[in-house]
Amino acid sequence: MTTIDNDSAGKTAMALLTLQGVDKIYRQGELEVRALQEIDLTVQEGEFAALVGPSGSGKTTLLNIIGGLDAPSHGSIQLNGTSITTLKEAELSDFRLFQLGFVFQAYNLVPVLSALENVELVMVLQGRDVRERRERAEHYLELVGLEKVMQRRPAALSGGQQQRVAVARALAAGPRLVLADEPTANLDSENATALLDIMHRLSHEEKTTFIFSTHDRRVMERAERIITLRDGKIVSDKHIGQESHEQMA
Amino acid sequence: MKHSDQLHADASRLPMLLFIAWRNIWRSPVRSILTIGALAGGLVMVILYAAMMEGMIRQMVHQATAISIGHLQIHRQAYVDDQDLYATLPWSYLDTIAGVFPEISLAPRLYASGLASTAETSTGVLIKAVDPAREPQVTRMLQQVRQGKMDLGPADDSQDGLPRNNLVIGAQLAKNMKLQPGSELVLVTQAADGSIGNALYRVAAILKPLEPNFDRMGVLMSIAAYQQLMYLTDGFHELVIRLDDATDLGVMQAELDAELKKLVSEQPLDELGGTPVVRNWRQLTPMVADMLEISKTITFFVGFIVIALASMGMLNTMLMAVHERTHEFGILLAIGMKRRWLLLMVLLESFFLGLVSALTGVLLGIGVIGLFGERGIDFSGMLPDGYDWGGIVFEPYMKLHLEPLDLLLACLLMLVITLLASLLPAWRTVRLRPAEVMR
Repeated sequence: MTTIDNDSAGKTAMALLTLQGVDKIYRQGELEVRALQEIDLTVQEGEFAALVGPSGSGKTTLLNIIGGLDAPSHGSIQLNGTSITTLKEAELSDFRLFQLGFVFQAYNLVPVLSALENVELVMVLQGRDVRERRERAEHYLELVGLEKVMQRRPAALSGGQQQRVAVARALAAGPRLVLADEPTANLDSENATALLDIMHRLSHEEKTTFIFSTHDRRVMERAERIITLRDGKIVSDKHIGQESHEQMA
Repeated sequence: MKHSDQLHADASRLPMLLFIAWRNIWRSPVRSILTIGALAGGLVMVILYAAMMEGMIRQMVHQATAISIGHLQIHRQAYVDDQDLYATLPWSYLDTIAGVFPEISLAPRLYASGLASTAETSTGVLIKAVDPAREPQVTRMLQQVRQGKMDLGPADDSQDGLPRNNLVIGAQLAKNMKLQPGSELVLVTQAADGSIGNALYRVAAILKPLEPNFDRMGVLMSIAAYQQLMYLTDGFHELVIRLDDATDLGVMQAELDAELKKLVSEQPLDELGGTPVVRNWRQLTPMVADMLEISKTITFFVGFIVIALASMGMLNTMLMAVHERTHEFGILLAIGMKRRWLLLMVLLESFFLGLVSALTGVLLGIGVIGLFGERGIDFSGMLPDGYDWGGIVFEPYMKLHLEPLDLLLACLLMLVITLLASLLPAWRTVRLRPAEVMR
């Protein structure tokens, strides 16, 4: 596997995300748990990066903090030129709505809406008009290969299909960054591979940055950058060259 | 963002929120149906109660106005205060009022007290004299015959050559004195000239119970018979008035009052009897009027309590629904749904549950009331003579009357209470921290 050191990588590309000195401390009574420690991280536009590490290493916490779902105890986060740590609740909500896409481990979708309506939902919240959101929703569902099951509700879809709807929903809203927390954790090998392929392909086609957490080796193999966390610290950050992927393939 | 822009933005999301809320209530159909059933059942109770109250009030007003009191009555003040036998209004007043107000119906009445005797017993009675021609134009008193035939004229079957008039008596009096249609009795009284007036009468009919006092002691005769007995011919005690349209009651009362003042100045009355006073049926039956005033309030409170109890089911349903869906709400907050939209969505779910319950309750309520039909709840088997309450005798069935406004108010009450019951679960929803609930 060919790797590139983080410092020399992507200097010409524009930094989409910058974390500086981010700490997250949870307090349970008198007990302090340092979930993240002194995280410094820069992600360029268009990257397809994996956060890896054992359970409890801080992957989900880091994604939540990047996504504005949780606040850091210390440090600053700049996303697309906005310091999200200074945003108020309503501004954060808007920021997530227009700048970020989310794919969670499971139960991503609203059960009472069809696949098509689920994809449209974020665009409804964005205030896009009916025709535009319908066209975009259908387009992205086609891109993830679900054009034949658009009208089905989540309960009538397989786990892999549900995750693909979640990816379509995340991308249809036109985000700058998609955060995926263990997106393949509940999928079998075939579905996990298919989902990663779709995410990877769309990342390139849509020029959308993906950061996803995983401890699934199959997923890691498709990442272009692997950031390894242990005990809340980044212990390694490697860019993987195209040739490595070709070798792996 | 300006407030108006924010409102516009919220409005544009409303159809989707309505859509999701509607579908959400059918996620657990059994639970929703049970909740709707409890709320609709509560509403049916409230509708039935409101219909019974309204029916009773209407029956009360009907008994008060149509059967005996009329819409308005005119007396002299001394008669109002002391039932002074001499506090009469001259007959010319009747003619003048009839001429000035041709659109209203008038009937004079006279009263006295006396002693009724048969061969076996005697008892005190209240004598009421009416004009058999005019009375049916203002009340239906003369139609309330339980036994016999209404006839207040001279008796035509006397075999002993003595003149006698017909009269009609109350049901309880008939029972107490063991009188039947065709029985005879003697009335003894102190006449207006101070002499002892007495005469023989034939019972033509027995009245249904109208009001407790009259039922127990009432004797009804014609004014002509009264004048023969009482030697009181120069006037009448009471003028009963019926309006075609009772909504103008206040206006007519004021006009009559003004006309009487004018009449008094033109045709002066003796000072002892006092001035004429016009009173409406609410003033004449204050208890009925009070009942009318408080019945709506009572219905409201009963409705509030019943629906509030039923809404505990709604509270439980919504708390369960919110608890089960915390992860989903976390997802929605994460993808950018604003907390106020989430709050609105949960409130809309409650609104829909309340609305479906209200519609179901209204349809069931109308159906149940329809089942009872025109007569309402019939308990003539238990109380064939009806029952008296507040000085008014009711027929032995309770008519159910549904006011569209009551129906609307009951529905609104239900929606408001169910929305109030959903505030707690909605509040819990907006306080969710997405990172915590998705952990």
